[in-house]
Formats: sequence, C-alpha cells, structure tokens
Amino acid sequence: MRIDYKLQDKFDFGIFIPCLLLFCIGLAAIYSSTVHHPTASGNFEKQLIWGVGALIIFFVTYSVPVNSYRIIAIPFYLVSLLLLIAVLAVGRQIQGAKSWLDLGSVGFQPSEFAKIGTILVLARFLSRNNANIESFRDIVFTLIVGLFPVGLILLEPDLGTAVVFIGVILAMIFWKGISLFGLFIVLSPGFVAIASLFGLNYFIGAIILVVIALLLFRKDIFYSGSIFALNLGAGFFTDYVYKILSPHQQNRIRSFVDPMADPLGAGYNAIQARVAIGSGGFAGKGFLAGNQTQLQFIPEQWTDFVYCVIGEEFGFIGSFITLLLFLILFIRILKIASLSKDEFLSLVTVGILAVYFVHLVVNVGMTIGVMPVIGIPLPFVSYGGSSLVVNMFMLGIIANVYRTRKNYT
Amino acid sequence: MTSGFGSVQRKSVIFIIIAASFALLVFRLFQMQIIDYKEYNEQSASNSIKAIEQIPLRGVFLDRNGKVVVSNVPAYTLRIIPADYDTKLNKILETVLGVDSGYIDKILYNNRMYSKYMPVRIKRGIDFKTVSWLEENSEFLPGVDYIVEMQRGYPSGIMGSHMFGYTKEISPELLKKENEYYDPGDYIGYNGIEKAYEKYLRGVKGYDYVLVDSRRKEIGKYKNGTADIPSLKGDDLVLSIDADVQKVGEDAFQEYRGAFVAIEPKTGEVLALGSFPDYDLNRFSYVTSKEFLDSLYADEDKPLFNRATMSVKPPGSTFKLMEATAALTLGVITTNTTFYCGGGFTFGRFFKCDGVHGSLNVVHAIERSCNTFFYNLIYKIGLDNWYDYARKFGFAQKTGIDIGEEAKGFIPNTRYYEKIYGPNWPRSIMASLGIGQGEVNVTPVQLAKYVSLIANNGVTYTPHIVKGYVDNKTGKYVPLKFDKIDIGLDQKVIEIVKEGMYLVVNGSGTAARIRSDEITIAGKTGTAQNPHGKDHALFIGFAPFDNPKIAVAVVVENIGFGATWAAPIAKKMIEAYLLKNKSMENEQKNYEQNEQKLKQDVIGASFEN
Repeated sequence: MRIDYKLQDKFDFGIFIPCLLLFCIGLAAIYSSTVHHPTASGNFEKQLIWGVGALIIFFVTYSVPVNSYRIIAIPFYLVSLLLLIAVLAVGRQIQGAKSWLDLGSVGFQPSEFAKIGTILVLARFLSRNNANIESFRDIVFTLIVGLFPVGLILLEPDLGTAVVFIGVILAMIFWKGISLFGLFIVLSPGFVAIASLFGLNYFIGAIILVVIALLLFRKDIFYSGSIFALNLGAGFFTDYVYKILSPHQQNRIRSFVDPMADPLGAGYNAIQARVAIGSGGFAGKGFLAGNQTQLQFIPEQWTDFVYCVIGEEFGFIGSFITLLLFLILFIRILKIASLSKDEFLSLVTVGILAVYFVHLVVNVGMTIGVMPVIGIPLPFVSYGGSSLVVNMFMLGIIANVYRTRKNYT
Repeated sequence: MTSGFGSVQRKSVIFIIIAASFALLVFRLFQMQIIDYKEYNEQSASNSIKAIEQIPLRGVFLDRNGKVVVSNVPAYTLRIIPADYDTKLNKILETVLGVDSGYIDKILYNNRMYSKYMPVRIKRGIDFKTVSWLEENSEFLPGVDYIVEMQRGYPSGIMGSHMFGYTKEISPELLKKENEYYDPGDYIGYNGIEKAYEKYLRGVKGYDYVLVDSRRKEIGKYKNGTADIPSLKGDDLVLSIDADVQKVGEDAFQEYRGAFVAIEPKTGEVLALGSFPDYDLNRFSYVTSKEFLDSLYADEDKPLFNRATMSVKPPGSTFKLMEATAALTLGVITTNTTFYCGGGFTFGRFFKCDGVHGSLNVVHAIERSCNTFFYNLIYKIGLDNWYDYARKFGFAQKTGIDIGEEAKGFIPNTRYYEKIYGPNWPRSIMASLGIGQGEVNVTPVQLAKYVSLIANNGVTYTPHIVKGYVDNKTGKYVPLKFDKIDIGLDQKVIEIVKEGMYLVVNGSGTAARIRSDEITIAGKTGTAQNPHGKDHALFIGFAPFDNPKIAVAVVVENIGFGATWAAPIAKKMIEAYLLKNKSMENEQKNYEQNEQKLKQDVIGASFEN
C-alpha cells in the first residue's frame, strides 16, 4: 500500500477520474447524436483519437518542470494574441464567427490557446514581488492584459469565449486579494454595460447607483472621478459592442429574453434544448432512444448542446451525475489552489478553475434556459479537438501543481 | 474581505459561488425533468412524431332495396407542398392540368395562412395520363405530388341532386366553428343528406404516426406503425328512396321545372324526391367546384334551389280535400248537402267555375273539382276553422323532413286580414282561398305529407329520406326513429273524401286519363294560377286505393293543367313502385351484386390526407 500512497501523493486522482468519466459520458453522447447523422457520423472516432492525443498532452504538461509555465507565460500570451489577430484576417467562418484557423487539415480555435496565455501572464503579473492589487496601476494593467484578447475575440465575434475571459480575470484578482472597493472598480463598468443593453433608462439608473456607491466609499475626488468616467465609457462602449455583434448573436441575446417570440428562429435552439432535457424525465429515454437527439432537432448537438443528449437519454440521473462530477472536480481544484505554496501556480489554478466553471455554467445554463444561448462547449464532454486538448493541457497544469504543491519558490 | 491572497475567506466565497451555481442548475433540472416532465414530454412527442391524418371513407347511401346510390370512387389529386415548391413550375403544371394561368397561384394564395409544409390540394380528379406524366417527371417537380383520394360516385343512374347534396372543401368560416374535427382541405357535406347526416357519414379520422426530423421530413414509422390509429369508415345510410321510382321521376322531369315527392304513407318514408332543373353532382368532385357553383348560382332557373322543400305555390284544387274534410268533420255539410253550380259564384263579384256542374254533393264536387261548391263551402266553414284544418294537415309549418332547408309556406287567417284591412276586411277574399288560390302557399313536400295523411286515414310519420344506418363499429343496422303524426280524423269523413279521390281517376273525374287496369289510383288534380306566367300543374294521389303504399305529390311549374302534366308523371312513379315486384328474382340478384360491390368500396385502402 505504500506504493499506492506514493502514487496518490504525486498524482491527484480526484481531478483525473472525474475528467475521465466526463470524457466517457461525452463520448456516449457524441456517439448517440452522430451515429445516424449523414455528415458527422465519424465524430465519435475522431473524438476518441483527440482524447488519446489530449491524454498525452496532459501527461506532458503534468511532468514538465513546474517552472516552465512561468517561462513560457509571456511568449505564449504574445503568440496567442498574434493568432487572434491572424484569425480575424484569414480565419474560417463557422456559424457567423471567424474563430477557426486551419493548420493543414486540422482546424483549431486560437481563442482556446489565448485562455492559457492570458491566465499565465496575469498570474505572473499578479504574483510578482511588488504587486499591489489595490493600486490603480495594477488594476488597470490587469484589465488591459486580460481585456485585450477579449476585444479581439469579440471582433470574431465570439461572445461566449469573451465571457470566459471576464470570469477568469475576476476570479484571479479576487484570489489575489482585491478589496471590496477594488472589486467595485472592476465590476461597476460591467454592471453599467449590461444595464445599458436594456436601454437608456437602465443606463442612467445604473450610473446613479454607481455615484451613490462612490459617495459611500469616500475615496478622493480624482479616484472617484476616474471611476465615474470609466463607467460612463463602459455604457457607451457596450452599445458599440452590441452593434458589432453578429446578427445571430444579437438574436440569441434577444431570444433569451423571450424565446417564444420566434420559435423557429433564434429561440428555436433554446426551446428544443429545453424540450429535449425536460422530456428526458427521471431516468431518461435510454441510450440512442432520445427522439429529439436522434431526429437532430438541434443542429450540431454533439458540440455546444451535448448536455441535451445527456439530459434526454439519461434523464435527471444522468444530468445530475454529470454535474456532480464537475462539482467534485471544482472542489478538488479549489483545494489544490489553496494547497499550493506557490502564488503564481495557485493563481494559475484558480484561473483555470474559472475557465471550467464559466464554461459549465454558461453551457448547461443555456440548455436549461437560465442563460442566453451563447455557444461555448462543455469541458471534456463536448466534441471538439482544440477545446479538449486545451482543457487537458490546463488539467495537466493543475496536476503538476498538485505534484509540486509542497515546493516553495 | 480584507484578508489577502488565497485566504480561507476567499476560498469560502469561491466555494459558495460554485455551490450556489450547482444548486441553481440542479434545482432547474429537477423542475424540468421531474416536475414539468409531462409537459415537456408531450411537446417532445408532438415535435418529432408527426400524426398524418387518415381520412376515413365516407359512408355510402343505399336505397331501400340495398342498391348503392352514392358510393366512393378513387380519384387522383395533385398536391403542392409550398415549402418545397418552386413557382417557376406554375406554367408547365397549369398547361399539363389544362387550367387557366394563375390557377395555382390563386390556390396557394388562398392557403397561405397554413403551414407551408402542409400539402395543398391543387386539383382533384386528374386523369391517368397526368399521373403518369407526374410520375415520369417527379425529379424535376420538387414539392409536387399526388395522392389517391375518394370522391363521390353515383353508380345507380339516379341524380338526386338536391336530396343527396354534395360535399365540398370546408370553407374557412365553417372551419373556424368546426375546428375540433376538421382541418383545412377536408371535405364536408354542404347540403342535402350529405349535410344533414354529416356526423354519421364522415366516420372517424385515423392517424399514422411517423418520425420526422427537425425539417419535418419523414424518416420512418413511429414504433413500426404499431401506434397508428386506423380510420373508421363512416356509417352507411340506408335510404327509404326507391331508385326505380326516383329514376322514373327524374326522367319524366328532364324537360320541366318543378318537383316531385313520393312517400310511403304508413311510415313517412320518402320513396322519391326531386327538384328540377337539377345539376350534376359528379361535378362537385373537383376543386373547380367553386366555378361550377358560381355558374349554378348565376342560372336563372335556380338549379340549386330545392323546389321540393323550398318552393311555395298555391295548392290550387288539391286543397279542396282539406276543405271537404274540415266541412264534414265540423258538420257544416253532409254527403247529402248539395250546392248548385251554374258556372260560378257571386260574392261581391263573380267567381268562375271551370264548368257548369249543376247540383252536386261533396264527393262529386271533388270528382269534378267544382269551384262553385268550394266557394260556397269556405264561407260555411269560416276562415279560422279553415286555417285550423290547413294547419292540422301540416301546412304553414315545416314538415320536419330530414334534409335541412325547408320553407314553411303560408296560410292566412282572420287576424292576418284584420291586420291588413281592419275589422271590415273584404270577405270576398275568402272565395279564392276556397279553391286553393290567392294567398295560400305550400311546398311539394307539404302536399306529399298531406296526401299521405289522407291515404293513411290521418296517421303518418314525419317525412324522412334516411331510414337508418349501418353502424360501422358494430356492423349492425340501426333504424332511425321519427315522430308519428296523428291528426285524429273521423274515419267516416276520410272515407267520403277518398271516395271523391277515387272518382277523380276512376270515375268521370279530372284525372280519368291516368286510370290503370293494374293499380287503383286515387288522387286530386290542381292547377295553380300564376300571375307571372302559365299555370302550375299539380297532382296529388295515392295507390293502391284499398291499401295505400305510395302517396305522390307532383308540381310542374308554368305548364298548364294539373291533369295534363302532373298526373301522368305521378302515374309513372306509382307504376314503377307497385309493378316492379313482378321481377323479384332479378331484384334479389341485383341486391347481392351490389352488396358485393359495397364491400369492395368499404375495403378500399385508407388514404393520406
């Protein structure tokens, strides 16, 4: 048993096993939704091959010296920015978004890699010796580093991935120890931005709330003034961003408000997804027996809407177990983040947790109607090579952090 | 939150956010998959499992001898599924179908409010040549298909236009009211028996369940068809009509306008009913029926108008039977009472008789149709008694015949004239009423009921064309019940009136020309004056005299004397009914053949909507 103990000490099954199970659930769902599909019937095998590749990458990432992440952080970030720019120029457009780059016969999404680059760079910046997250300079720099790729991604436009980045930034500065006021500075523009989406009255109301909050914090006039200006700018900027969104994404945001308004248009997926999951009932309709899935009511169900397959064919039990595996994974990652003695690695871990978490909540949320339909995949479950590789790469980092948790830097 | 990097508090906050999100997601899943499961499941079922309506075969009509008079015959219908169809094909299709350009656009436009995935019927009854053309060119005709549907056929050689009625694609207005059963494009009985017995005839729709993908394309049967609900054929109606009698009546009326109604007096069963000019029911089997209908509406002879139940005319001398009955029953005269006919009657002015009959009693007054007698009689009876007896015989009210629209007719009374002229209304008006002229209006079916009542001594049943139906669930014949009518006539009185009617045909009466050696016919002629043209010819009668089996009313419009024009038609119909049993064996054979044919009609496949 001593060997076992040693292995557990070096390798965290608490994160590996749930991911493996999620991948298997994903395989089953991909098989079910593509087996009768005229063009996607090979996706099960492709995903299996990607899985093997991703597993290799996981073990590579797991076993490299933990310091190498720190070294590659800035180059990785810069390269991923270049790729994000490249994709805007020569990218392949799929479903209204220019988010794919072709390398030979394999396509990948640079935004997936930009997640890693951004997390590593932010972690490096925030964990440097003289970092002070309370300083205006640090906050602004963090936001610039974090939001620059967001801007590029919004140009594709890929709203879902942009939301993931925002989650990552918030989680990392929170973990770093930002104060309530600092959080307010970061969050209030977002609050104003969302409010402005609903119209002028909401925008003015939000600005008034921001002013009241500023008065309560009793900071100096220059500070408060800058923040006020920032908020005002955020409101106007949002209006601009909404306009540059592709019509199908605008529709998706609108259809979230009222999916029944256009049951065969933008709200179609939202309704069909809900019907699929709801009709699964307690135990599901059975593997390969979900009529919504088998009849392809939802386009490309093996990608962003894969959770519907699980909900329909495996019912509440299947959907619940899937969520439970994610919960175990997340709690375990959070544990590792606090176990690590290395501030950089701890921040990276929390950043990755945020990626997984936002993906899960937005993905599952949109299929069950608590989030707008903004397409991002379900980690480890959805079909897609670059998403799986990047997720396993990040999991490898966390496993590495666990392995080296007792090391001090 | 003052504590710094990676503190326990911050870990707790993140943990709480994660836990709360999971709680929310799980709660929502529970709500959808456990609480609202049924609702979603229904949605899912209706989503991907499409029910294809199976239109049941309509019940057929059999005459009283089991002969099929209205059947179902297969016909090809061309349809277009607007979602898949390219309107560039309009031109070629319109050429092939032989219709005007713009025909297809018009139909598609009329159906624009329905799902574009639902096939729209473009033309029914396309010929086999067109079908083979469609078959050959199907790959160049996306969204165009054809189906086999049943349409009405009339195999027995009788038309019965007004009696049978026609079926027609349900109108949008009616569809709004009747949307529980009907869908756009469904056929529904529009008049006659088809309308009155629609609920028996239509049957029960069936449903085939097929799986469809998100583009509503069929991709297979649901549960291999085990969940399909087969359609149930409508009930077959057994009519009291005798196809032979009907045929004779129809043939006789080809040149004339008017109506005939024949009733079995003991049961109220209608043996024949016709209105002329009639129209060809076969032409309603096509989508073009609207234009056909328009042409019928435009026709000055009003072929759509069912004269048998709707046209009101003075009954003329046929009304004298009612008056004789009233007078004898009231005791204002006996058979010994005579009036002197010197060629007319004076009451304020002179009222003419058709001849100089001298002194005659009620029997001979009926025989000779003496106007003078009845001019006198109505003053003895009194207007209101006269009115009461007219009503007793069913005038000024609907007969309740089972084919819908019917006119009430009109009989005046004292109150009516007082309303118009005041209490001192001119009593001379009554004289004309005494011979069934003036403001007296009756329908042919009322006359038939009237003569049935006389023939059967004051007792009959509400006239009806449908005797019963064959319940297609049980296969059993179910007779329909109709009200008995008993007007409580004194048998002695009715004997006297019938004696008069006997003499009309068999004595030296007005209809002596229709005397027959084989059958004893009794009747009464009538000639109704018509201010707009020639007189209307009427005849009512029954036979055999001793045991009446058929009562007939014939009205020929604008032609002349009742004896000349109406009585011979009545005779032919009576003969057709009473003399046909000679060849009973033949009949039996016919019956069996038809039974066989009927079975084939029933078996015929069910066809997609």
